[in-house]
Amino acid sequence: MITVDHLTKRYGKTLAVDELSFEVKPGVVTGFLGPNGSGKSTTMRIILGLDRATKGGATINGRNYHDLKAPLHEVGALLDAKAVHPGRTARNHLRALAASNKIKSSRVDEVLEFAGISSVANKKVGGFSMGMSQRLGIAGALLGDPEVLLFDEPVNGLDPEGIKWIREFFQSLAKEGRTVFVSSHLMSEMAVSADQIIVIGRGKFITQGSVDDLTATVQGTVFVRASDPPRLTAALRGEQGVVQEINDNGLSVTGLTSDQVGEIAFGAGVVIHELTPQRASLEDVFMDLTADSVEYGSHPTGAP
Amino acid sequence: MSGDVTLLSATQAEWIKFRSVRSTIMGVIVTFVLTIGLGALITTAVRGHYNEMDPLRKLTFDPVSTSLGGTLFAQFAVGVIGVLFITSEYSSGSIRSTLAAVPHRAQLALSKLIVLFVSLLVVGEVACFITFQLGQAIFSGVVPTASLGSGAVLRSVLFAGIYLTLLSIIGYSLGLILRQSAASISVFTSLLLILPIVLFLLPQSWQNHVAKFEPSALGQSMMSPTTAVNGFGAVTALLILVLYVVIVFGVGVTLFSRRDAGASQ
Repeated sequence: MITVDHLTKRYGKTLAVDELSFEVKPGVVTGFLGPNGSGKSTTMRIILGLDRATKGGATINGRNYHDLKAPLHEVGALLDAKAVHPGRTARNHLRALAASNKIKSSRVDEVLEFAGISSVANKKVGGFSMGMSQRLGIAGALLGDPEVLLFDEPVNGLDPEGIKWIREFFQSLAKEGRTVFVSSHLMSEMAVSADQIIVIGRGKFITQGSVDDLTATVQGTVFVRASDPPRLTAALRGEQGVVQEINDNGLSVTGLTSDQVGEIAFGAGVVIHELTPQRASLEDVFMDLTADSVEYGSHPTGAP
Repeated sequence: MSGDVTLLSATQAEWIKFRSVRSTIMGVIVTFVLTIGLGALITTAVRGHYNEMDPLRKLTFDPVSTSLGGTLFAQFAVGVIGVLFITSEYSSGSIRSTLAAVPHRAQLALSKLIVLFVSLLVVGEVACFITFQLGQAIFSGVVPTASLGSGAVLRSVLFAGIYLTLLSIIGYSLGLILRQSAASISVFTSLLLILPIVLFLLPQSWQNHVAKFEPSALGQSMMSPTTAVNGFGAVTALLILVLYVVIVFGVGVTLFSRRDAGASQ
């Protein structure tokens, strides 16, 4: 279990993480979601004792990272796949990590095999593609067979086959009862790979829950096609519905359920041809949740 | 738990890292080439001109430090080895996986120091003993030679190897402080090359008291069987250089322990 408690991190004037608190529980894949620059990587570095918190802190199974006697046996992390000396071979990189935590060198071959990079084990890391580097990083995280695993944007640079592999891999780790904490700035990725999602923006906690919980927080829309759109529009607006004309006869309605739309149409004497409740997509949810906290947003109309 | 990180296990990991990159191998080769190659070049040149030397210079001629002259060039190579041992971790970002595996900063810094000290001591001593013997062989018959049978001569050759070792640790400590290869190498080079020039601008009476504290002047004192007029004895020079190393490394470890391992540089 990972516990982040009132964590604040300031770099000079920049507030990277702001009073952030959450828990990551074992047995499920927990997604850590936020736009770029929202403090995900900073939080992960502080969990790993690499950066010092300005206030508050983070613990792993109740202990500070610095108090772990054999950290790789308890926590495995992939922060930045490219952060390996480019002149060193994959095997030597792993051998050194293993030696520091007294892990047998036979384990190095096991994780290389598991990550599917045995054939390039004796090649210099500098020549690796992003996907190969991610696999090397995953191999490194697994060295000590840890109970807690952290992955920062692990899907970046992987090909579709690699993405499928890594999703199944996260799920299998979680099924074994491990704590799996995966960051991403892509909601769609989290939706398929994570059971629980923690959303942050500008270093602040926004929300936490299952994928279903999160979609429920945003109102869905109802698509309706009817014989007399203007009359229906007027009737719906009279009941606080927000109506948007989509095509010939189609209307998109928010603020009302499909049942309500049907009853209002019946009351107004309009014949309905189609009535479809549309759930908010996860991307919509994410955009909605983080709209106020995107650091580098695009502005559709001219200068900000 | 049996897997606990210890100074020994951290040192074993650093030893694997140290010898598994080309920059170390190249650095060691360059150290040998400069120490032995330039030593041979210097002694050959001296042999060729020895008979033209004026009697006073012949009287003070020291075959030991002359044959070890290549170390004054090799000191830059060992400095770079020391610098890169830590700055390459920052430039590549591998410092983060290193510190995730060995969270105690002082333990990590010390394990690197041990690897650097032991391996550079071996390299330095081997290079210095070879260049000494080669130099005496080149001198033989024309120029007076020295023998390792003399305690002072043996000490000079041993100290020459130690000098190279300590300079690599100064390079490493500067790397801990500055974290960037180029900046660290510049400062290291300045200490050895620019500092003497700056001191040369001082009045002569000051120079006599100050110049002997320069690292390269300490090296000269360490490698001479006799004590120069405005210099330290070999043992005193060694102790002063060790003091420098302790100070620079101490500052390096302190900063290393306090600072964030941070985002990409």
